[in-house]
Amino acid sequence: MEYLYDHYAGALLGVVARILRKEELAEEVLQDVFLKIWDKIDSYDASKGKLFTWMLNIARNQAIDKTRSKEFSKGKKTGDIDNYVNRIDNEGFVEQKVEGIGLQNIVNTLPEDQRFIINQHYLKGYTQAEIAEEFNLPLGTVKTRMRLAMKELRNLLKVE
Amino acid sequence: MNVEQYISSGILEAYASGELPERERLEVEKNLKLYPELRKELALIEETQEKLLMKAAIPPNPSLKKSLFEKIDASEKSAKVVELSPADGGISFWKFAAAASITIALITSYLAYDYRDKWKKTENNLAELTAQSQQMASDYNTVNQRLDAIENDLRVTTSPDFSRVLLRGTANAPTALASVYWNEKTKEVYLSIQDLKELTQENQYQLWAIIDGKPVDAGVFDNNFKGLLKMKDIGSGAATFAVTIEPRGGKLAPTLETMQVAGNVVKS
Repeated sequence: MEYLYDHYAGALLGVVARILRKEELAEEVLQDVFLKIWDKIDSYDASKGKLFTWMLNIARNQAIDKTRSKEFSKGKKTGDIDNYVNRIDNEGFVEQKVEGIGLQNIVNTLPEDQRFIINQHYLKGYTQAEIAEEFNLPLGTVKTRMRLAMKELRNLLKVE
Repeated sequence: MNVEQYISSGILEAYASGELPERERLEVEKNLKLYPELRKELALIEETQEKLLMKAAIPPNPSLKKSLFEKIDASEKSAKVVELSPADGGISFWKFAAAASITIALITSYLAYDYRDKWKKTENNLAELTAQSQQMASDYNTVNQRLDAIENDLRVTTSPDFSRVLLRGTANAPTALASVYWNEKTKEVYLSIQDLKELTQENQYQLWAIIDGKPVDAGVFDNNFKGLLKMKDIGSGAATFAVTIEPRGGKLAPTLETMQVAGNVVKS
């Protein structure tokens, strides 16, 4: 568990924080996420995907549940959305350099329409359905652009 | 299913990001079991997603880890190690021991899952291969039997010992046509149909040989076979062969009014 935490807490916090856009809440949710992982690790089924994907989905759902909670909407009303997201956008990502290449640099090499989808989905935490609705795109288009972008990223991130 | 089209629709990406509705998700899971190409593709997508999100990580506050593991510790203590009371002293040691044993148990159970999964997959593959080889064996048998039949037909039709008697349509059925292959020495009789009309379930065709002016039964048949059909052996001296329509099972004497085809043996 400690291994899982050390390895993945950062990535999952990123996901949760981008959906919630509130630092304290994000860390609180992250804790719930790990308690849930701890609780449910038995039900993880490797034939359905990687462990990270499974954890990612727990994190995502937990964060989305939070956005629907009272606590969250109260915060929203009082305009208490701090500039955490900006911090992520401006520093966080650029700071997180692996092999000397920043994430943003990689994403920036994608064609405009693909970069847009990746940014909205992975960096801003919108679901594909939300992107389709918000930007008035057919869901099928969002899906295929995502597919193309992921294929391109596969090369850029040297996945083989 | 067109696997390529399925992949290019982007459904696996949506699956990997966990946002498919229940029904679609179950469908993808079903398809993953069926198509190894899909599993391969999904693994690449997941790997990309993981790398991307790892790069977009935000390091959590170090205090978070501490409080998380205290919570886990507490929940485990209340659930599994209640018998350890603080009176034992060295509570922090026990905390540590509990946490460590839990970590080990977790890793072990994860590995067990992983191995079980691999074992399951292997077993599935084996079952698939077994089924495939059974199918192939049965196909092979079918082909073999068919080949035997064709070889026998060829033996009959090319043998000089068999004489072919062409049975032409009578006034009842002018376009009807059938052939009899007859070996006078061995008394074997084979029949092949070129053109005979369909019969109702109640009726069957019956082949007759006329020997010394008397009809001899050579067996009944339906017109649902290909190649040659072996009929009853008959005595020597057949001068004519004829086919009539009779009630299913045949009769002792032919109903001449229903005669369909007939032909005389040409003595060579």
